[in-house]
Amino acid sequence: MRQFLDYIKAGRFRVPVCTSCRTKAWPPSPYCPKCLSRTAFRKVKTTGTLLEFSSSHVRDHEGLFGVVDMDGIRLVGSFDPDASLSVGMKVRMSRCGVSDAGTPYYWFDVVK
Amino acid sequence: MRRVAIAASQTARFTKTSEKSIFELACEPCIDIVKSVRDIDAVLLSTCSTEQYSSTIVSEMLGIKPKISHRIDNLCNSGTNAIASAYSMIVAGLCDSALVIGAEKSDSKGNRLVWDITRGSFNFPVHWAAMFAKAHMGRFGTTEQQMAAVSVKNRKNAAKNPNALFRKPVSLEEVMSSRRIADPIKLLDCSLACDGASAVLLLSEERAKKVENPVWINGIGQQTNSASFAGAAENLSALETASRAAHDVYRMAGVRPSDIDVAEVHDAFTILEIMAYEDLGFAKKGEGGKYAEKNEIAVNPRGGILGCGHPIGATGVSQVSEIACQLAGTAGKRQVKDCRTGLVHNLAAAGSSATVMVLGVQK
Repeated sequence: MRQFLDYIKAGRFRVPVCTSCRTKAWPPSPYCPKCLSRTAFRKVKTTGTLLEFSSSHVRDHEGLFGVVDMDGIRLVGSFDPDASLSVGMKVRMSRCGVSDAGTPYYWFDVVK
Repeated sequence: MRRVAIAASQTARFTKTSEKSIFELACEPCIDIVKSVRDIDAVLLSTCSTEQYSSTIVSEMLGIKPKISHRIDNLCNSGTNAIASAYSMIVAGLCDSALVIGAEKSDSKGNRLVWDITRGSFNFPVHWAAMFAKAHMGRFGTTEQQMAAVSVKNRKNAAKNPNALFRKPVSLEEVMSSRRIADPIKLLDCSLACDGASAVLLLSEERAKKVENPVWINGIGQQTNSASFAGAAENLSALETASRAAHDVYRMAGVRPSDIDVAEVHDAFTILEIMAYEDLGFAKKGEGGKYAEKNEIAVNPRGGILGCGHPIGATGVSQVSEIACQLAGTAGKRQVKDCRTGLVHNLAAAGSSATVMVLGVQK
């Protein structure tokens, strides 16, 4: 997990992939959840499908957010407040990073 | 197989916060139980507090020298997990009596899951609840009014519960006009983490012979699919963990959803109670919203988590405590008439794990 966050801090989305069967370990893990071989960090596809979205009004966590599935990697992404979203649309990760509180964030754009 | 009875249960008054330590909170509901039953073989403490050796400290404070003592944590369903463990120990013959205590501080360090980075910046429970609610509305036409009806019902029930945190009923209009937290979820669709404690005493069949009117644990079903939100609910509008746990418990107890007279379900958010109706088979898939307006089975008579508050590690124990009281006929003003079979539904972390229990009295 520390290595995952180090990549994210550098703005790079890297995910552990099984060195034996190529299964993605998500959430990040040094072991493959399918065959339990070791994993290694790899670049993965960062376009996906928007499964659901909403607006948050929680203090310090305001904004448009949604669940994105990128070939089996499911995460909650942030969207520009002006983005016009609909369930099922294609989206692409535009940037990622780690907040001062140590929480990773993933920003997405709508694929035109 | 050896049967296991719930011989006594107590719940302390839930409060927003308090000066009490986790140990003092844990002792509170145990005093009367321990005064009447000195011979306790196991003490299991369900809590998300990270205080070391807490179950054993509480045992010493209560003057108990149990064979078995340890803490159990599984976030919001810690309580029913502790009861499942105590049940198993009695069935296996490791012990004949077990005191299961649930206790929590509103600010216990372990109340929030930090490991799950799949939630990005939106890592509050209300965020996944909003995703479930929107998915359910989009797929089945569930409405915000139907969700609000759950809050109105549970707050009305809580008004009759002297231990509940929220004892003032709310109207549908008040729920609908309460502050938006994460669309479509509003303030009064949400429960509140609080201080609280509850305890149940489990006895083996032989030991329960002397108990008047024991309540039996007739089945326990559990399912864990993930620890992360990413793996919790494939289609966001149903919880496979809960439906699988329900399937197993109905088979173990030999009952059907229509046999359930009273239930405590995990209403940390109103949408979760609507999903529970469907996952437990009380309503058909997609009809949970309509079911919320009918209330055929007495669900959450103590006020649920919405009305009572959510002392995370104590919630599951307090749910079981309520159903035990209902079946024993000692629920006072909240008593549901003629109930013989009861159910408890307890979830953790976006429903990534679930416990469903069936309790009953002798027919």
